[in-house]
Amino acid sequence: MSVAVYREGRLLGLAEEPRGYLDLLVEVDSIPAQARPGQFVMLRAWPGDDPFLPRPFDIAQADPARSTLRMFVKIEGRGTALLRELKPGAPLQLAGPLGRPIADLDCSSLALLARGVGAAAVTFLAAEALKRGLRVYSFLSASSAERLVCRKLLEEASTSLAVATDDGSAGYHGSALDLVEQLLTGSPVERIYSCGSRRFARYVKELDCSGKVKGFVFLEGFMACGLGDCHGCAVKRERGEGYFLVCQDGPVLRAGEVVLE
Amino acid sequence: MIDLSVTIAGVRLANPVLPASGTYEFSAAHQGFFSPAELGAVINKTIFQEPRPGNPPPRICETPCGMLNAIGIPGEGVEAFIAEKLPLLRRLGPPVIVSIAGNTLEEFCELAGKITATGMADLLELDLSCPNLRDGIPWATDEGDLRRVVSRVAAATSLPVIAKLSPAVSDIAAMGVAAEQAGARALSLVNTFRGMAIDIEARRPVLGNVTGGLSGPAIRPLAVYAVYATYSRVKIPIIGIGGVSSWRDAVEFLLAGASAVAVGTGNFVNPLAMREVIRGLEGYLRDGGFASVREIVGLAQEGGR
Repeated sequence: MSVAVYREGRLLGLAEEPRGYLDLLVEVDSIPAQARPGQFVMLRAWPGDDPFLPRPFDIAQADPARSTLRMFVKIEGRGTALLRELKPGAPLQLAGPLGRPIADLDCSSLALLARGVGAAAVTFLAAEALKRGLRVYSFLSASSAERLVCRKLLEEASTSLAVATDDGSAGYHGSALDLVEQLLTGSPVERIYSCGSRRFARYVKELDCSGKVKGFVFLEGFMACGLGDCHGCAVKRERGEGYFLVCQDGPVLRAGEVVLE
Repeated sequence: MIDLSVTIAGVRLANPVLPASGTYEFSAAHQGFFSPAELGAVINKTIFQEPRPGNPPPRICETPCGMLNAIGIPGEGVEAFIAEKLPLLRRLGPPVIVSIAGNTLEEFCELAGKITATGMADLLELDLSCPNLRDGIPWATDEGDLRRVVSRVAAATSLPVIAKLSPAVSDIAAMGVAAEQAGARALSLVNTFRGMAIDIEARRPVLGNVTGGLSGPAIRPLAVYAVYATYSRVKIPIIGIGGVSSWRDAVEFLLAGASAVAVGTGNFVNPLAMREVIRGLEGYLRDGGFASVREIVGLAQEGGR
Protein backbone atom coordinates (compact mmCIF):
# COMPACT_ATOMS: atom_id res chain seq x y z
CA MET A 1 0.00 0.00 0.00
CA SER A 2 1.46 3.32 -1.02
CA VAL A 3 1.19 6.27 1.31
CA ALA A 4 0.42 9.66 -0.18
CA VAL A 5 2.36 12.68 1.01
CA TYR A 6 2.28 16.39 0.30
CA ARG A 7 5.67 17.74 -0.69
CA GLU A 8 7.36 20.63 -2.36
CA GLY A 9 9.24 19.38 -5.41
CA ARG A 10 11.60 21.08 -7.82
CA LEU A 11 11.38 21.27 -11.57
CA LEU A 12 14.47 19.67 -13.12
CA GLY A 13 13.51 19.83 -16.75
CA LEU A 14 10.74 21.05 -18.96
CA ALA A 15 10.36 20.66 -22.69
CA GLU A 16 7.48 21.39 -24.99
CA GLU A 17 7.78 18.23 -27.01
CA PRO A 18 5.78 17.70 -29.08
CA ARG A 19 4.30 21.17 -29.50
CA GLY A 20 1.30 21.67 -27.23
CA TYR A 21 2.52 19.07 -24.74
CA LEU A 22 4.88 19.44 -21.81
CA ASP A 23 7.43 16.86 -20.80
CA LEU A 24 8.06 17.52 -17.10
CA LEU A 25 10.80 16.10 -14.92
CA VAL A 26 10.27 16.83 -11.24
CA GLU A 27 12.48 16.05 -8.28
CA VAL A 28 10.48 15.26 -5.15
CA ASP A 29 11.06 12.98 -2.22
CA SER A 30 9.00 9.96 -1.21
CA ILE A 31 6.49 10.01 -4.08
CA PRO A 32 8.70 8.29 -6.71
CA ALA A 33 9.41 5.41 -4.36
CA GLN A 34 5.75 5.01 -3.44
CA ALA A 35 4.17 5.43 -6.86
CA ARG A 36 2.71 2.45 -8.69
CA PRO A 37 1.20 2.18 -12.16
CA GLY A 38 -2.31 3.57 -12.30
CA GLN A 39 -1.57 6.33 -9.82
CA PHE A 40 -1.42 10.07 -10.26
CA VAL A 41 -0.37 13.24 -8.46
CA MET A 42 -2.17 16.51 -7.75
CA LEU A 43 0.17 19.30 -8.79
CA ARG A 44 0.20 23.05 -8.32
CA ALA A 45 3.05 25.35 -9.28
CA TRP A 46 1.97 28.95 -9.09
CA PRO A 47 1.60 31.45 -6.25
CA GLY A 48 -1.72 32.88 -5.12
CA ASP A 49 -5.28 31.63 -5.38
CA ASP A 50 -5.87 31.89 -9.10
CA PRO A 51 -6.01 29.39 -10.69
CA PHE A 52 -7.27 27.88 -7.48
CA LEU A 53 -7.17 24.11 -7.71
CA PRO A 54 -4.28 21.72 -8.17
CA ARG A 55 -4.34 19.59 -11.36
CA PRO A 56 -4.28 15.81 -11.55
CA PHE A 57 -1.49 14.39 -13.73
CA ASP A 58 -0.59 10.82 -14.55
CA ILE A 59 2.85 9.55 -13.73
CA ALA A 60 4.75 8.33 -16.81
CA GLN A 61 7.93 7.36 -15.00
CA ALA A 62 8.92 7.19 -11.36
CA ASP A 63 12.60 6.85 -10.53
CA PRO A 64 13.15 6.21 -6.82
CA ALA A 65 16.96 6.24 -7.21
CA ARG A 66 16.98 9.77 -8.62
CA SER A 67 13.85 10.76 -6.72
CA THR A 68 12.17 11.97 -9.90
CA LEU A 69 8.78 11.81 -11.58
CA ARG A 70 8.29 12.26 -15.30
CA MET A 71 4.93 13.54 -16.47
CA PHE A 72 3.40 14.56 -19.77
CA VAL A 73 0.82 17.28 -19.82
CA LYS A 74 -1.38 18.64 -22.56
CA ILE A 75 -1.43 22.44 -22.54
CA GLU A 76 -5.12 23.23 -22.56
CA GLY A 77 -5.99 25.65 -19.80
CA ARG A 78 -4.60 28.38 -17.58
CA GLY A 79 -2.93 25.99 -15.15
CA THR A 80 -1.05 24.11 -17.82
CA ALA A 81 -0.15 27.37 -19.59
CA LEU A 82 1.43 28.55 -16.33
CA LEU A 83 3.38 25.31 -16.09
CA ARG A 84 4.86 26.02 -19.51
CA GLU A 85 6.37 29.26 -18.19
CA LEU A 86 8.22 27.57 -15.33
CA LYS A 87 12.01 27.59 -15.30
CA PRO A 88 14.17 24.72 -14.06
CA GLY A 89 14.51 24.94 -10.30
CA ALA A 90 10.95 26.22 -9.85
CA PRO A 91 9.10 24.86 -6.81
CA LEU A 92 6.01 22.70 -7.31
CA GLN A 93 3.55 21.40 -4.73
CA LEU A 94 2.63 17.76 -5.17
CA ALA A 95 0.26 15.43 -3.36
CA GLY A 96 0.64 11.79 -4.18
CA PRO A 97 0.78 9.11 -5.18
CA LEU A 98 -3.02 9.03 -5.35
CA GLY A 99 -5.55 6.62 -6.74
CA ARG A 100 -5.79 2.88 -6.62
CA PRO A 101 -2.64 1.27 -8.02
CA ILE A 102 -2.84 -1.55 -10.54
CA ALA A 103 -1.55 -4.06 -8.05
CA ASP A 104 -2.60 -7.27 -9.71
CA LEU A 105 -0.79 -8.04 -12.95
CA ASP A 106 -1.55 -11.69 -12.76
CA CYS A 107 -1.44 -12.50 -16.47
CA SER A 108 1.11 -13.03 -19.22
CA SER A 109 0.16 -10.49 -21.86
CA LEU A 110 -1.32 -7.01 -22.10
CA ALA A 111 -2.45 -4.74 -24.87
CA LEU A 112 -2.26 -1.00 -24.15
CA LEU A 113 -4.12 1.54 -26.26
CA ALA A 114 -3.22 5.16 -25.83
CA ARG A 115 -4.09 8.33 -27.63
CA GLY A 116 -2.46 11.70 -27.15
CA VAL A 117 -1.33 12.43 -23.63
CA GLY A 118 -2.95 9.17 -22.47
CA ALA A 119 0.36 7.59 -23.41
CA ALA A 120 1.89 8.85 -20.17
CA ALA A 121 -0.21 6.70 -17.86
CA VAL A 122 0.14 3.51 -19.90
CA THR A 123 3.93 3.98 -20.13
CA PHE A 124 4.26 3.49 -16.36
CA LEU A 125 2.10 0.37 -16.57
CA ALA A 126 4.02 -0.96 -19.58
CA ALA A 127 7.36 -0.59 -17.83
CA GLU A 128 6.16 -2.41 -14.72
CA ALA A 129 4.54 -5.20 -16.76
CA LEU A 130 7.62 -5.68 -18.94
CA LYS A 131 9.79 -5.84 -15.82
CA ARG A 132 7.60 -8.64 -14.52
CA GLY A 133 8.07 -10.60 -17.75
CA LEU A 134 4.70 -9.92 -19.36
CA ARG A 135 4.36 -9.41 -23.09
CA VAL A 136 3.28 -5.83 -23.63
CA TYR A 137 1.73 -4.84 -26.95
CA SER A 138 1.32 -1.08 -27.10
CA PHE A 139 -0.61 1.03 -29.56
CA LEU A 140 -0.07 4.74 -29.77
CA SER A 141 -2.49 6.91 -31.68
CA ALA A 142 -2.68 10.58 -32.59
CA SER A 143 -4.24 12.80 -35.20
CA SER A 144 -0.84 13.34 -36.77
CA ALA A 145 2.86 12.63 -36.26
CA GLU A 146 3.47 15.88 -34.39
CA ARG A 147 0.95 14.90 -31.74
CA LEU A 148 2.50 11.61 -30.76
CA VAL A 149 3.31 11.90 -27.07
CA CYS A 150 5.78 9.88 -25.06
CA ARG A 151 6.57 7.66 -28.06
CA LYS A 152 10.16 6.80 -27.19
CA LEU A 153 9.45 5.95 -23.56
CA LEU A 154 6.48 3.80 -24.43
CA GLU A 155 8.47 1.99 -27.10
CA GLU A 156 11.24 1.20 -24.61
CA ALA A 157 8.69 -0.09 -22.11
CA SER A 158 6.85 -2.37 -24.54
CA THR A 159 7.48 -5.69 -26.27
CA SER A 160 6.20 -3.97 -29.39
CA LEU A 161 4.79 -0.57 -30.22
CA ALA A 162 2.54 0.15 -33.16
CA VAL A 163 1.81 3.73 -34.15
CA ALA A 164 -1.27 4.94 -35.98
CA THR A 165 -2.18 8.44 -37.12
CA ASP A 166 -5.42 9.77 -38.51
CA ASP A 167 -3.63 11.51 -41.38
CA GLY A 168 -1.03 8.84 -42.05
CA SER A 169 1.90 11.13 -41.23
CA ALA A 170 3.39 8.42 -39.00
CA GLY A 171 2.84 4.68 -38.79
CA TYR A 172 -0.43 3.17 -39.88
CA HIS A 173 -2.83 5.49 -41.71
CA GLY A 174 -6.11 4.93 -39.92
CA SER A 175 -7.46 3.81 -36.58
CA ALA A 176 -5.21 2.05 -34.11
CA LEU A 177 -8.18 -0.22 -33.47
CA ASP A 178 -7.55 -1.88 -36.87
CA LEU A 179 -4.12 -2.85 -35.58
CA VAL A 180 -5.51 -4.07 -32.27
CA GLU A 181 -8.02 -6.23 -34.14
CA GLN A 182 -5.15 -7.80 -36.07
CA LEU A 183 -3.31 -8.56 -32.85
CA LEU A 184 -6.36 -10.07 -31.19
CA THR A 185 -7.09 -12.41 -34.12
CA GLY A 186 -3.47 -13.62 -34.11
CA SER A 187 -2.20 -13.95 -30.55
CA PRO A 188 -4.44 -14.06 -27.53
CA VAL A 189 -4.13 -11.17 -25.10
CA GLU A 190 -5.46 -11.50 -21.59
CA ARG A 191 -6.00 -7.87 -20.77
CA ILE A 192 -6.46 -4.63 -22.58
CA TYR A 193 -6.16 -1.10 -21.15
CA SER A 194 -7.10 2.15 -22.83
CA CYS A 195 -6.22 5.72 -21.96
CA GLY A 196 -6.85 9.07 -23.59
CA SER A 197 -9.65 8.26 -26.02
CA ARG A 198 -13.36 7.74 -25.52
CA ARG A 199 -13.54 5.71 -28.73
CA PHE A 200 -10.85 3.35 -27.44
CA ALA A 201 -12.58 3.16 -24.07
CA ARG A 202 -15.86 2.14 -25.71
CA TYR A 203 -14.04 -0.47 -27.77
CA VAL A 204 -12.35 -1.88 -24.66
CA LYS A 205 -15.68 -1.93 -22.88
CA GLU A 206 -17.22 -3.94 -25.71
CA LEU A 207 -14.37 -6.44 -25.48
CA ASP A 208 -14.73 -6.60 -21.72
CA CYS A 209 -18.48 -7.18 -21.91
CA SER A 210 -18.06 -9.82 -24.60
CA GLY A 211 -15.86 -11.81 -22.22
CA LYS A 212 -13.10 -12.24 -24.82
CA VAL A 213 -10.53 -10.06 -23.07
CA LYS A 214 -10.54 -8.38 -19.69
CA GLY A 215 -10.84 -4.68 -20.43
CA PHE A 216 -9.81 -1.73 -18.28
CA VAL A 217 -10.03 2.00 -18.80
CA PHE A 218 -7.97 4.84 -17.39
CA LEU A 219 -10.54 7.50 -16.56
CA GLU A 220 -10.29 11.19 -15.93
CA GLY A 221 -12.66 13.47 -14.10
CA PHE A 222 -12.89 17.00 -12.78
CA MET A 223 -11.48 16.71 -9.31
CA ALA A 224 -10.54 19.28 -6.71
CA CYS A 225 -8.61 17.11 -4.25
CA GLY A 226 -7.72 13.68 -5.63
CA LEU A 227 -8.31 12.29 -2.12
CA GLY A 228 -11.93 11.19 -2.17
CA ASP A 229 -13.07 14.25 -0.26
CA CYS A 230 -14.57 16.55 -2.87
CA HIS A 231 -16.65 13.88 -4.66
CA GLY A 232 -16.24 15.84 -7.88
CA CYS A 233 -14.89 13.10 -10.15
CA ALA A 234 -17.97 10.92 -10.22
CA VAL A 235 -18.43 8.33 -12.99
CA LYS A 236 -21.71 6.48 -13.24
CA ARG A 237 -21.76 2.80 -12.37
CA GLU A 238 -23.02 0.43 -15.05
CA ARG A 239 -24.76 -1.75 -12.47
CA GLY A 240 -26.87 -0.42 -9.65
CA GLU A 241 -27.26 3.15 -8.58
CA GLY A 242 -24.55 5.63 -7.84
CA TYR A 243 -21.09 6.56 -8.92
CA PHE A 244 -17.46 5.58 -8.75
CA LEU A 245 -14.97 8.25 -7.78
CA VAL A 246 -12.15 8.37 -10.32
CA CYS A 247 -9.64 9.40 -7.65
CA GLN A 248 -10.52 6.74 -5.12
CA ASP A 249 -12.00 3.78 -7.01
CA GLY A 250 -9.88 4.46 -10.10
CA PRO A 251 -8.42 6.03 -12.10
CA VAL A 252 -8.25 2.55 -13.66
CA LEU A 253 -11.59 0.75 -13.62
CA ARG A 254 -12.95 -2.39 -15.18
CA ALA A 255 -14.44 -1.17 -18.47
CA GLY A 256 -17.64 -3.17 -18.16
CA GLU A 257 -18.47 -1.60 -14.81
CA VAL A 258 -18.63 2.05 -15.85
CA VAL A 259 -20.96 4.10 -18.00
CA LEU A 260 -18.83 5.84 -20.62
CA GLU A 261 -20.54 9.12 -21.46
CA MET B 1 2.58 28.01 26.12
CA ILE B 2 -0.30 29.50 24.20
CA ASP B 3 -3.76 28.27 25.10
CA LEU B 4 -5.48 27.43 21.80
CA SER B 5 -8.52 25.83 23.37
CA VAL B 6 -12.02 27.15 22.84
CA THR B 7 -15.41 26.01 24.06
CA ILE B 8 -18.30 25.61 21.67
CA ALA B 9 -21.64 24.97 23.36
CA GLY B 10 -20.00 23.40 26.39
CA VAL B 11 -17.66 21.20 24.34
CA ARG B 12 -13.98 21.92 24.72
CA LEU B 13 -11.94 21.97 21.50
CA ALA B 14 -8.17 21.73 21.96
CA ASN B 15 -7.80 24.31 19.20
CA PRO B 16 -10.22 26.36 17.11
CA VAL B 17 -9.55 24.67 13.74
CA LEU B 18 -11.78 22.04 12.22
CA PRO B 19 -12.80 20.83 8.78
CA ALA B 20 -15.96 22.09 7.11
CA SER B 21 -18.45 19.30 6.55
CA GLY B 22 -17.82 17.35 3.37
CA THR B 23 -14.27 18.49 2.75
CA TYR B 24 -12.17 16.16 4.85
CA GLU B 25 -12.84 12.56 5.59
CA PHE B 26 -9.94 10.74 7.19
CA SER B 27 -9.14 7.73 5.01
CA ALA B 28 -6.16 5.70 3.83
CA ALA B 29 -5.37 8.48 1.35
CA HIS B 30 -4.79 10.89 4.26
CA GLN B 31 -2.55 8.74 6.43
CA GLY B 32 0.68 10.32 5.21
CA PHE B 33 -0.49 13.91 5.75
CA PHE B 34 -1.16 14.54 9.43
CA SER B 35 -3.06 12.99 12.29
CA PRO B 36 -6.69 14.05 12.64
CA ALA B 37 -6.06 13.95 16.39
CA GLU B 38 -4.42 17.37 15.90
CA LEU B 39 -7.72 18.96 14.89
CA GLY B 40 -10.04 20.93 17.13
CA ALA B 41 -12.97 18.76 16.06
CA VAL B 42 -13.93 16.33 13.34
CA ILE B 43 -17.11 16.27 11.29
CA ASN B 44 -18.77 13.99 8.77
CA LYS B 45 -20.08 14.74 5.32
CA THR B 46 -23.73 15.65 5.96
CA ILE B 47 -25.82 12.54 6.42
CA PHE B 48 -29.42 12.00 5.41
CA GLN B 49 -31.91 9.38 6.46
CA GLU B 50 -31.72 7.47 3.18
CA PRO B 51 -28.77 6.64 0.91
CA ARG B 52 -28.22 9.23 -1.82
CA PRO B 53 -26.29 8.81 -5.07
CA GLY B 54 -25.45 12.51 -5.48
CA ASN B 55 -25.79 14.67 -8.57
CA PRO B 56 -24.82 13.79 -12.13
CA PRO B 57 -21.43 15.11 -13.28
CA PRO B 58 -19.93 17.55 -13.99
CA ARG B 59 -20.11 18.26 -10.28
CA ILE B 60 -17.40 20.86 -9.87
CA CYS B 61 -16.07 23.80 -11.79
CA GLU B 62 -13.11 26.02 -11.03
CA THR B 63 -13.82 29.74 -10.79
CA PRO B 64 -11.58 32.75 -10.08
CA CYS B 65 -10.08 32.09 -6.62
CA GLY B 66 -12.62 29.41 -5.88
CA MET B 67 -14.84 26.67 -7.15
CA LEU B 68 -18.46 25.81 -7.69
CA ASN B 69 -19.74 22.47 -6.50
CA ALA B 70 -22.98 20.65 -7.03
CA ILE B 71 -22.10 17.35 -5.47
CA GLY B 72 -25.58 16.72 -4.08
CA ILE B 73 -24.37 15.17 -0.80
CA PRO B 74 -23.99 11.52 -1.78
CA GLY B 75 -24.11 9.29 1.26
CA GLU B 76 -24.80 5.86 2.62
CA GLY B 77 -27.81 6.80 4.73
CA VAL B 78 -27.94 7.10 8.49
CA GLU B 79 -28.09 3.39 9.34
CA ALA B 80 -24.85 2.57 7.53
CA PHE B 81 -23.32 5.80 8.80
CA ILE B 82 -23.99 4.86 12.42
CA ALA B 83 -22.77 1.31 11.89
CA GLU B 84 -19.57 2.11 9.99
CA LYS B 85 -18.42 5.72 9.75
CA LEU B 86 -19.46 7.22 13.04
CA PRO B 87 -17.43 4.74 15.14
CA LEU B 88 -14.37 5.56 13.00
CA LEU B 89 -14.95 9.27 13.48
CA ARG B 90 -15.29 8.75 17.23
CA ARG B 91 -11.96 6.91 17.38
CA LEU B 92 -10.04 9.80 15.80
CA GLY B 93 -9.86 11.57 19.14
CA PRO B 94 -11.20 15.13 18.82
CA PRO B 95 -14.82 16.01 19.65
CA VAL B 96 -17.21 14.73 17.00
CA ILE B 97 -19.66 17.00 15.23
CA VAL B 98 -22.30 15.11 13.30
CA SER B 99 -23.77 17.05 10.40
CA ILE B 100 -27.31 16.08 9.46
CA ALA B 101 -29.89 17.21 6.93
CA GLY B 102 -33.46 16.20 6.34
CA ASN B 103 -35.96 16.71 3.57
CA THR B 104 -38.68 17.35 6.15
CA LEU B 105 -38.92 18.52 9.74
CA GLU B 106 -39.78 14.99 10.82
CA GLU B 107 -36.70 13.62 9.11
CA PHE B 108 -34.49 16.16 10.86
CA CYS B 109 -35.91 15.15 14.23
CA GLU B 110 -35.69 11.45 13.55
CA LEU B 111 -32.07 11.78 12.46
CA ALA B 112 -31.23 13.88 15.50
CA GLY B 113 -32.74 11.21 17.72
CA LYS B 114 -30.82 8.41 16.07
CA ILE B 115 -27.48 10.22 16.25
CA THR B 116 -28.09 11.21 19.88
CA ALA B 117 -28.90 7.62 20.81
CA THR B 118 -25.51 6.39 19.61
CA GLY B 119 -23.73 8.38 22.30
CA MET B 120 -20.92 8.91 19.79
CA ALA B 121 -21.54 12.56 18.91
CA ASP B 122 -20.62 15.66 20.90
CA LEU B 123 -22.35 18.26 18.79
CA LEU B 124 -25.04 18.19 16.14
CA GLU B 125 -24.75 20.49 13.14
CA LEU B 126 -27.87 21.12 11.11
CA ASP B 127 -27.10 21.66 7.46
CA LEU B 128 -29.89 24.11 6.76
CA SER B 129 -28.28 25.81 3.85
CA CYS B 130 -26.85 23.58 1.14
CA PRO B 131 -27.67 25.45 -2.08
CA ASN B 132 -27.87 22.20 -4.03
CA LEU B 133 -30.82 20.73 -2.17
CA ARG B 134 -34.55 21.11 -1.90
CA ASP B 135 -34.73 22.94 -5.23
CA GLY B 136 -32.23 25.33 -3.75
CA ILE B 137 -34.65 26.63 -1.12
CA PRO B 138 -32.73 26.09 2.05
CA TRP B 139 -34.26 26.06 5.49
CA ALA B 140 -32.05 28.94 6.50
CA THR B 141 -33.51 31.48 4.09
CA ASP B 142 -36.93 31.62 5.74
CA GLU B 143 -36.99 32.80 9.32
CA GLY B 144 -40.11 30.83 10.20
CA ASP B 145 -38.70 27.60 8.75
CA LEU B 146 -35.42 28.22 10.51
CA ARG B 147 -37.08 28.73 13.91
CA ARG B 148 -39.25 25.65 13.42
CA VAL B 149 -36.48 23.28 12.43
CA VAL B 150 -34.02 24.45 15.09
CA SER B 151 -36.55 24.35 17.92
CA ARG B 152 -37.95 20.97 16.91
CA VAL B 153 -34.50 19.40 16.63
CA ALA B 154 -33.32 21.03 19.86
CA ALA B 155 -36.28 19.39 21.58
CA ALA B 156 -35.49 16.03 19.98
CA THR B 157 -31.87 15.82 21.13
CA SER B 158 -29.80 16.27 24.24
CA LEU B 159 -26.84 17.31 22.09
CA PRO B 160 -26.01 20.98 21.58
CA VAL B 161 -27.25 22.09 18.17
CA ILE B 162 -25.19 24.13 15.71
CA ALA B 163 -27.18 25.86 12.99
CA LYS B 164 -25.30 26.15 9.70
CA LEU B 165 -26.74 29.21 8.02
CA SER B 166 -27.05 30.40 4.47
CA PRO B 167 -25.49 33.63 3.26
CA ALA B 168 -28.36 34.03 0.79
CA VAL B 169 -30.39 36.31 3.08
CA SER B 170 -30.63 40.06 3.42
CA ASP B 171 -29.81 40.08 7.14
CA ILE B 172 -27.64 37.18 8.25
CA ALA B 173 -27.45 38.50 11.81
CA ALA B 174 -31.23 38.40 12.12
CA MET B 175 -31.18 34.77 11.06
CA GLY B 176 -28.49 34.11 13.64
CA VAL B 177 -30.65 35.70 16.30
CA ALA B 178 -33.63 33.61 15.18
CA ALA B 179 -31.58 30.41 15.39
CA GLU B 180 -30.30 31.38 18.85
CA GLN B 181 -33.81 32.12 20.11
CA ALA B 182 -34.99 28.79 18.72
CA GLY B 183 -32.40 26.93 20.74
CA ALA B 184 -29.22 26.79 18.66
CA ARG B 185 -26.13 26.71 20.89
CA ALA B 186 -23.72 27.77 18.13
CA LEU B 187 -23.75 29.03 14.55
CA SER B 188 -21.74 27.96 11.53
CA LEU B 189 -21.32 30.95 9.22
CA VAL B 190 -21.51 30.48 6.26
CA ASN B 191 -22.41 27.82 3.75
CA THR B 192 -21.55 28.23 0.06
CA PHE B 193 -23.08 30.95 -2.11
CA ARG B 194 -25.29 29.75 -4.93
CA GLY B 195 -23.81 30.48 -8.33
CA MET B 196 -23.29 29.05 -11.76
CA ALA B 197 -20.94 28.94 -14.72
CA ILE B 198 -21.81 28.65 -18.38
CA ASP B 199 -19.80 26.83 -21.01
CA ILE B 200 -19.74 29.37 -23.84
CA GLU B 201 -18.77 26.78 -26.47
CA ALA B 202 -21.51 24.31 -25.55
CA ARG B 203 -23.82 27.24 -24.66
CA ARG B 204 -25.17 25.55 -21.58
CA PRO B 205 -24.48 25.42 -17.83
CA VAL B 206 -21.22 23.74 -16.87
CA LEU B 207 -22.60 21.88 -13.86
CA GLY B 208 -24.84 18.85 -14.26
CA ASN B 209 -27.09 20.37 -11.60
CA VAL B 210 -27.10 23.75 -13.43
CA THR B 211 -26.32 25.72 -10.24
CA GLY B 212 -23.83 25.05 -7.49
CA GLY B 213 -22.31 26.46 -4.33
CA LEU B 214 -19.38 28.85 -4.57
CA SER B 215 -16.55 28.37 -2.10
CA GLY B 216 -12.90 29.30 -1.69
CA PRO B 217 -11.02 32.56 -1.18
CA ALA B 218 -13.47 34.28 -3.53
CA ILE B 219 -16.14 34.26 -0.79
CA ARG B 220 -13.91 35.04 2.20
CA PRO B 221 -14.71 38.76 2.52
CA LEU B 222 -18.43 37.92 2.34
CA ALA B 223 -18.09 35.27 5.03
CA VAL B 224 -15.94 37.47 7.28
CA TYR B 225 -18.62 40.14 7.04
CA ALA B 226 -21.34 37.63 7.95
CA VAL B 227 -19.42 36.71 11.10
CA TYR B 228 -18.66 40.34 11.95
CA ALA B 229 -22.27 41.41 11.49
CA THR B 230 -23.67 38.54 13.55
CA TYR B 231 -21.19 38.51 16.43
CA SER B 232 -22.53 41.54 18.28
CA ARG B 233 -26.14 40.37 17.91
CA VAL B 234 -25.85 36.89 19.45
CA LYS B 235 -24.39 35.38 22.60
CA ILE B 236 -23.70 31.93 21.18
CA PRO B 237 -20.32 31.13 19.60
CA ILE B 238 -19.75 31.31 15.87
CA ILE B 239 -17.76 28.91 13.72
CA GLY B 240 -16.44 30.94 10.79
CA ILE B 241 -16.35 29.26 7.39
CA GLY B 242 -15.52 30.58 3.95
CA GLY B 243 -12.26 30.54 2.05
CA VAL B 244 -9.89 29.81 4.91
CA SER B 245 -6.68 28.36 3.56
CA SER B 246 -4.00 30.00 5.70
CA TRP B 247 -3.59 31.04 9.31
CA ARG B 248 -3.98 34.67 8.25
CA ASP B 249 -7.45 33.88 6.98
CA ALA B 250 -8.29 32.12 10.22
CA VAL B 251 -7.09 35.10 12.28
CA GLU B 252 -9.31 37.37 10.23
CA PHE B 253 -12.37 35.29 11.15
CA LEU B 254 -11.39 35.17 14.83
CA LEU B 255 -10.93 38.92 14.97
CA ALA B 256 -14.31 39.35 13.30
CA GLY B 257 -15.89 37.33 16.08
CA ALA B 258 -15.61 33.62 15.26
CA SER B 259 -14.65 31.37 18.17
CA ALA B 260 -13.47 28.68 15.76
CA VAL B 261 -12.84 28.37 12.04
CA ALA B 262 -13.59 25.59 9.63
CA VAL B 263 -11.37 24.92 6.64
CA GLY B 264 -13.29 23.67 3.61
CA THR B 265 -12.14 23.99 0.04
CA GLY B 266 -8.66 24.88 1.34
CA ASN B 267 -8.22 21.20 2.24
CA PHE B 268 -8.50 20.31 -1.44
CA VAL B 269 -5.70 22.64 -2.48
CA ASN B 270 -3.34 21.82 0.37
CA PRO B 271 -3.95 18.62 2.34
CA LEU B 272 -1.87 20.05 5.18
CA ALA B 273 -3.88 23.30 5.33
CA MET B 274 -5.54 22.66 8.70
CA ARG B 275 -2.29 21.75 10.42
CA GLU B 276 -0.60 24.82 8.95
CA VAL B 277 -3.47 27.02 10.15
CA ILE B 278 -3.16 25.67 13.70
CA ARG B 279 0.61 26.23 13.82
CA GLY B 280 0.45 29.63 12.16
CA LEU B 281 -2.25 30.77 14.52
CA GLU B 282 -0.14 29.78 17.50
CA GLY B 283 2.74 31.82 16.09
CA TYR B 284 0.51 34.85 15.54
CA LEU B 285 -0.72 34.73 19.13
CA ARG B 286 2.79 34.35 20.49
CA ASP B 287 4.10 37.25 18.43
CA GLY B 288 1.17 39.38 19.54
CA GLY B 289 1.72 38.58 23.20
CA PHE B 290 -1.59 36.78 23.69
CA ALA B 291 -1.88 33.95 26.19
CA SER B 292 -5.07 32.49 24.75
CA VAL B 293 -6.76 32.43 21.37
CA ARG B 294 -9.93 33.50 23.15
CA GLU B 295 -8.39 36.94 23.70
CA ILE B 296 -8.60 37.78 20.00
CA VAL B 297 -12.15 36.64 19.35
CA GLY B 298 -14.11 39.69 18.21
CA LEU B 299 -11.17 42.03 18.74
CA ALA B 300 -11.85 43.82 15.46
CA GLN B 301 -15.36 44.72 16.61
CA GLU B 302 -15.93 48.31 17.57
CA GLY B 303 -15.24 48.41 21.27
CA GLY B 304 -15.00 44.62 21.41
CA ARG B 305 -17.68 42.69 23.22
